Amino acid sequence: MPILERKERVSDEIPTASMADIAFLLLVFFLTTTVFNEEKGLPIVLPEAEQEEVDVSAKNLIFFLVQPDGSVVVRRGESEQEQVVSSSQIEDLLRAELAANENLIAAIKTAPTAAYRHMVDVLDEVKLAGAERISLQILE
Amino acid sequence: MAKRGGFSRKSSASEEIPSSSMADIAFLLLIFFMVSTVFRKERDQPIEWVTAEATEKIDEKRKNILHLWVDPEGQVFINDQLVPYESIAGVVRPLYSENRNLVVAVRGDRDVPYSQINAITEQLKQSGAVRVTFATRVEQRVQRARR
Repeated sequence: MPILERKERVSDEIPTASMADIAFLLLVFFLTTTVFNEEKGLPIVLPEAEQEEVDVSAKNLIFFLVQPDGSVVVRRGESEQEQVVSSSQIEDLLRAELAANENLIAAIKTAPTAAYRHMVDVLDEVKLAGAERISLQILE
Repeated sequence: MAKRGGFSRKSSASEEIPSSSMADIAFLLLIFFMVSTVFRKERDQPIEWVTAEATEKIDEKRKNILHLWVDPEGQVFINDQLVPYESIAGVVRPLYSENRNLVVAVRGDRDVPYSQINAITEQLKQSGAVRVTFATRVEQRVQRARR
């Protein structure tokens, strides 16, 4: 009889020791691969339909007239003079105006044929400038 | 330990943390998350997003958000249904009266004419759902310079 005896020991059970590892691995995999689609955008509150009209004095208004080609004309409420600006200038312009008059209402008037993105570009700039009172209108 | 008396008390408590039920725990967690996951029912419309630098995260529960898609042809979809412009208010009003915290997320294609968007906001005003967001993608400075 040899001193070293070779024992053939193959368990007839399925090994369950690593089952926990497998399950946690699956868990962690699904946790990390899950993508939450979060809602992003530019929030705005529309005026209610049955709200009575409020008279706003002209000096508290600044109009941004969005033309069909995407160019923007700025018109201050009381003066008739118009100024053509590029959409990237609006932020600085409006910021200065807001510093002078905090009750200023930014009215974005968009031409019906102008693309949606032109309106959003202007709205973006107005939001960046920190304007709280925004009005969306259509340019007739 | 010296043997005293007939019985020796052996402590049968193992020093190791029992790991045999670990698999059950892990699978339970896995199944819990699988079952509690809610999938979006809606199908995405193929649109080109508008970008904005001032894009904010809308902190609102998912059930309070109503998606309103405007595809490149100007057609409006709410909950996968094509809705004609005149009946947007009629569709949104019952949803709004059910849930007063409703926020309408307008997901419009970038080249849709503004008259369509204006028609939508007019309809939304009538329905009473005045909290609106224009869904945008974040714009990078680099992209801006190129514009």
